[in-house]
Amino acid sequence: MEPFKTHRGKVAVLDWTDVNTDLIIPARYLKRVERVGYGPLLFADKRYVPGGAPEADDPDKHGPEAPDFPLNRPAAKGATVLVVRKNFGCGSSREHAVWAVAQAGFRAVIAPVKGEGFADIFEGNAYGNGLLPLELPEGEWEAIAEAGRSEQGAEVTIDLEALKLTLHSSSGEKTFAIEVPEAQRHRLLNGLDAIAETLLDEPAISAHEAKAPAWITPQPA
Amino acid sequence: MPETLFQKVWNRHVVKATDEATLLYIDLHLIHEVTSPQAFDGLRLARRKVRRPDLTIATVDHNVPTENQLDIREPMSRRQVETLRDNCKEFGLTLFDVHGGRQGIVHVIGPELGLTLPGTTIVCGDSHTSTHGAFGALAFGIGTSEVEHVLATQTLWQGRRPTSFGIEVRGKLAPGLEPKDIILAIIRQIGTGGATGTVVEYYGPAIEALSMEGRLTICNMSIEAGARAGLIAPDDTTIQYIATGNRPFAPQGAALEMAIADWRTLKTDDPSAFDRHVVLEADKIAPQVTWGTNPAMTVDVTGRVPEPDKVPFASSEDARRALDYMGLTPGTPITEIPVDVVFIGSCTNGRIEDLRTAAKVLRGRKVAESVRALIVPGSEQVRHQAEAEGLDAVFREAGAEWRESGCSMCLAMNPDKLTPKQRSASTSNRNFEGRQGPGGRTHLVSPAMAAAAAVAGHFVDVRPMLAQGN
Repeated sequence: MEPFKTHRGKVAVLDWTDVNTDLIIPARYLKRVERVGYGPLLFADKRYVPGGAPEADDPDKHGPEAPDFPLNRPAAKGATVLVVRKNFGCGSSREHAVWAVAQAGFRAVIAPVKGEGFADIFEGNAYGNGLLPLELPEGEWEAIAEAGRSEQGAEVTIDLEALKLTLHSSSGEKTFAIEVPEAQRHRLLNGLDAIAETLLDEPAISAHEAKAPAWITPQPA
Repeated sequence: MPETLFQKVWNRHVVKATDEATLLYIDLHLIHEVTSPQAFDGLRLARRKVRRPDLTIATVDHNVPTENQLDIREPMSRRQVETLRDNCKEFGLTLFDVHGGRQGIVHVIGPELGLTLPGTTIVCGDSHTSTHGAFGALAFGIGTSEVEHVLATQTLWQGRRPTSFGIEVRGKLAPGLEPKDIILAIIRQIGTGGATGTVVEYYGPAIEALSMEGRLTICNMSIEAGARAGLIAPDDTTIQYIATGNRPFAPQGAALEMAIADWRTLKTDDPSAFDRHVVLEADKIAPQVTWGTNPAMTVDVTGRVPEPDKVPFASSEDARRALDYMGLTPGTPITEIPVDVVFIGSCTNGRIEDLRTAAKVLRGRKVAESVRALIVPGSEQVRHQAEAEGLDAVFREAGAEWRESGCSMCLAMNPDKLTPKQRSASTSNRNFEGRQGPGGRTHLVSPAMAAAAAVAGHFVDVRPMLAQGN
């Protein structure tokens, strides 16, 4: 996994609430067995002109982009930080949703209100893929979203080491503190493989298994 | 300090805990073809094995065609199913494949085979894993990286422990009402993000009165309110289900006695232990119908399509987008909305009781000419049971299609799909845009309400139909 230390990039604002993972990537694209190639499939049914969604077996084959979709605005082109509303990523557990966001070039997603910004499974999947899910207080979120909606757009710098976010917009710079759980921060900063880390605790896992009641293991049938 | 059922199950699975993260042991890992291929690839790349093949069970469900399970024509679907077969062989895992007698939707076969047990932790790369909570198991959906992590370590890291959310359902469901109406009424009341960060426990007389099938329907849709998991405390109904059914994987004899003694201790000590608590009166619930594009956008069948500025939990813009997608005009009575397709099945409502209820409505009646009705058993076992009871004949005589088991029209990954602008009455769990096929319009209802809509050709209150009989 690519480490995440500091990142500066343009923001794209999607002003919809309760964006579910079927919207982020429709189920027909989940038939792929690969782990890459999901970038063009992000918001496949919204991002292209009607009838222009990518082919399931060839994601790079798709119609022109729909000009009115918020991520296609000129100011959002090349954005690497996605600004969304509450309960982003609700619905299905598909990690393909995170793969699509990350492989479309995003490194972070910013949502309003601590504990309400992201659906639980999406949030966990995001960390697992080096995509930073940030929840900010409503006012700070609004400042970033408002700057991002402007004609010239905005950029942010996320400094995971110093735990701060700086908004760069036409009206100057503002810096906010950010919160990231320490274990996740450690993994992101170092780009660690979670499995290798867990296997350091193998003795504790074996000890737990040794005291499990016999009825817990499925009977051979 | 009184503890909740959730805390008790959580605590007994803690392998290691730090200030902000907990390593939880996983007792059962269910796998299907959609969310596992990249996890197995990861294992191969790192030269890792599956730690506990005996706690890992696979089936195929999402891509399986329900007209003929053996005939997967779509090359990508076929490749995904074959990839799972190859992976199970390579890593030595049990796979319940089609026509083997035990295949079915992963959340239907777990309980019916006796794999789902109280007090255990269960995960699957599928958000509807919450279903298994009906047995008092802590069961939740995970992403593919986590699938790989569980395969390799049989554990899972969890961040801050979710809070406990008690949902008490008092009173008694009226005739014609179903568990589906309870859970839709709950989501309508608390919103699609209303339980985010929590584990819900459902309790109260209306829950205790439910069969295991009904409880599974309730817990299944916990995720639609954002809950990490949904739980119901095990009781006599639970123990009866495990001990007396044909549950080949469940403990037997002395092991079962030991297990039962343990399961009896699995309950919330006192409702004051919940971090949050809401109450619903079952007697006041009417048959529920969703009108919009998330499961909180729900009204009574006797109600009307709402004005966009009167939709709870949605901005008027979001509501207008939903109305537009659904092709509905505010003020339209729900019973005047015609349906093109009726789908009875899924991990929400594809169990034997659901089919019995649908048969009760369809017996001696006919599916309207304008309607295509699909009835899809949740598993091969459910199909065989339904056929033994003659339900398939009832469905066929009514003019409905009786299919083979799979996820079917719940999510448009197999040939069962809506075409653009087609409108369905569906017993599944998600009415998201495009969920049943691009442009398709989904209304979620109970099996009885779906069957009634099939007969009438539009939504209709099933209560008088059930009262008058046939």
